[in-house]
Amino acid sequence: MSDLDKAIEQLRQCRPIPELQVREICFKAREILIEEANVQIVDAPVTICGDIHGQFHDLMELFRVGGDCPDTNYLFMGDFVDRGFYSLESFLLLLCLKVRYPDRITLIRGNHESRQITTVYGFYDECIRKYGSANVWRYCCDVFDYLALGALVIGAGTSVQPTRSADGEDVETKVREAEDEVEIEVIGLGGVVTRQMLRREAGMINSTNLTPSALPHLSSSGPAGPLLTGIPGTGASGNSRGIATPNNAPANTGGAVLCVHGGLSPLIDSVDKIRLLDRKQEVPHDGAMCDLLWSDPEEIDGWGLSPRGAGFLFGSDIVKQFNHLNNLTLIARAHQLVMEGFKEMFDSSIVTVWSAPNYCYRCGNVAAILELGEDNSNAVLRSGGEEVLFNRENTRRLASTYMGGSMKRGGPGRRYRVFEAAAQDSRGMPSKKPMPYYFL
Amino acid sequence: MMAITFYASHFGPTSTFAHPAIQATTRPAPVANHPHPQTVHTYRTNKMSSTSPPPSTSSSSMPPPPPAPAQLTAKEVQAVMPSAVDAGRTITVGGITVTTRKLPILNAAEIEAMTEKLGIAPPEMIFGNNVVSIKGVAKADGAPGEKDKTWKIEFNALDALDLVDKTGSDMLKVAYSAAWQKQRENMHEGIKEVVKPFDWTYSTHYRGTVTENARFEPTQQQIPLDKLRRQDPILFFDDVMLYEDELADNGMSILSVKVRVMPARLLLLARFYMRLDDVVFRIRDTRVFVEFAEGLVLREYQEREDSYENVKKKLMPYREDVPAIMRDANQMVEFLPLQGTVVEKMVL
Repeated sequence: MSDLDKAIEQLRQCRPIPELQVREICFKAREILIEEANVQIVDAPVTICGDIHGQFHDLMELFRVGGDCPDTNYLFMGDFVDRGFYSLESFLLLLCLKVRYPDRITLIRGNHESRQITTVYGFYDECIRKYGSANVWRYCCDVFDYLALGALVIGAGTSVQPTRSADGEDVETKVREAEDEVEIEVIGLGGVVTRQMLRREAGMINSTNLTPSALPHLSSSGPAGPLLTGIPGTGASGNSRGIATPNNAPANTGGAVLCVHGGLSPLIDSVDKIRLLDRKQEVPHDGAMCDLLWSDPEEIDGWGLSPRGAGFLFGSDIVKQFNHLNNLTLIARAHQLVMEGFKEMFDSSIVTVWSAPNYCYRCGNVAAILELGEDNSNAVLRSGGEEVLFNRENTRRLASTYMGGSMKRGGPGRRYRVFEAAAQDSRGMPSKKPMPYYFL
Repeated sequence: MMAITFYASHFGPTSTFAHPAIQATTRPAPVANHPHPQTVHTYRTNKMSSTSPPPSTSSSSMPPPPPAPAQLTAKEVQAVMPSAVDAGRTITVGGITVTTRKLPILNAAEIEAMTEKLGIAPPEMIFGNNVVSIKGVAKADGAPGEKDKTWKIEFNALDALDLVDKTGSDMLKVAYSAAWQKQRENMHEGIKEVVKPFDWTYSTHYRGTVTENARFEPTQQQIPLDKLRRQDPILFFDDVMLYEDELADNGMSILSVKVRVMPARLLLLARFYMRLDDVVFRIRDTRVFVEFAEGLVLREYQEREDSYENVKKKLMPYREDVPAIMRDANQMVEFLPLQGTVVEKMVL
């Protein structure tokens, strides 16, 4: 077993690794990250995760629910550190996995991956406490500066393979699978399918003799024209489907998905503009790089200023226009706590994914991860057997998932897996019952 | 292990929601009594649940109908309704009943409903179903027509937030706002509109929600600190979060209510703490004191505030502990000068 594998094992048990090893791993990580683009290209299938915030045991729960790395291809949208008890172990584990399996895990930067923010919100103090000096914090901050600002998921299918329900209605389910494609599926707590949105046009897609013009218009980019080769968001791509599939088979292509921690920027009207930024620096207080990590979608028209006096809010029209211009079908972002773990907005053109259950150990929220399936393959992301096993372990839990707003069809097939916080034990979490004391 | 010492000060002895195993005093409260019952009915579930697959659809050219809101099944209702333990913990001593209830933050539907009621977006962590209440009965004195009077003073997030300035007339700005605005002016001339201006620090001067039959009048009496300093046994204690916001990582804003009940008296402290990094610190305390034997109910309201710069100077000697202290309202109260105190006495 290599030193790196040993470090991964140790971190999986939530035990910090020696300072010298941190230095070495951070150095190696930087070598890998420096080669990555500002907007890293990631092939589907991929599982997209939101904020973690040092909630190590919940990160372990995430891996249990979503599958282990490298079996599952992961994309984390930042905010690994601060607020939780184990920022150090959480970030180092993700970083070790990045060094060990660079093609199976993508890390992009959140607004908390910054020197200024980590000194205020916990990560700095945690490093001092666990190592007695700021060295480890410094190594980590140097890595932060090299993290990508976003990622573009290409080759996602328009549908996901329906998950067998816990109650196992195999026959009927199979009939349905043959006729409809599942565009959105929500797997609630305990692995129970709580919601499936079907794409009615599925029957057409499945027929063998279809022509491109017969395809439903799955994205805002208009009819499927000649398929150009190129990455969405670059001048080389002529449509939302991205790189042409073999035989020009256009079926089940969900278009590209832009992943970014916060949101859009008025300075950025194309994905290419993100590529032009010089990202290797501390997160600035203004400018495009700042906006990408800080801005929020809001029910407004156009752009707005946050009442806080800094930061942008962007409305539905901005997202739709950006997606159209860049041949995107979805923007996935994190940054905002959502009680339900995820929230689709603006006719499903943007989604917030939140992966820190029971945030700060007191909010009682559930978390979610977003699975995007593979183009044209109806790939099973995880075997049915595992899901059933998961169900059995968790039958006492029940799911209720609320999806806000009306759903307009379009975009990639997506499966949200909703999960709860790992069981709290004696690992230093605040107990649920407060300790009485003589406050005045 | 070291994590405990550090975060104990940050998160304090706060907790999340009630747990059956440790709630000996838990008993169901009538739901109708609660002013803000959970908006369970606003949940929507798709008919295509795990137990009832949808009718198969043919490849017709008909536009797909909108997702049909379906009735909740009994199983699902159970999942979203607060269970009996969520009704709270309660204790009755000396004729006074104290109830606390702790539930998770509001879900999307509840947040929507609250936003509509308030006219402003609630804080990021909004414990809209949490509540602390003190209830008492004033016995009729025997005069003809006199009846027992039940009074109640309650603390909840909705009423606290209703007192937040919703006009934006007195709005604070984050520290780097000026620099940010200046940089922006050159680049985005078109973007001028501030979205829904309001006091986004959620500063409130909430002193509790009081039943109509009780009113508070100014008094010279003081809350007897000597009695409260005595280590009388604590029969009941709780710490209930009402809301919390991270001010988009520019500080913190938090309103929580602590209560301790001793054999002869009780003390409640509703503390609002706000730190806007490099700008200001603010504490607003409401204390409710009840002396059971006398039927005395006092309410004290205090405001404390100072600039970030001043506080930072005062905290200099604490060096590496400064960030932790700045997260802890209970320590910060020592460093913020008192701006004013009002003591009132309850009259029925």
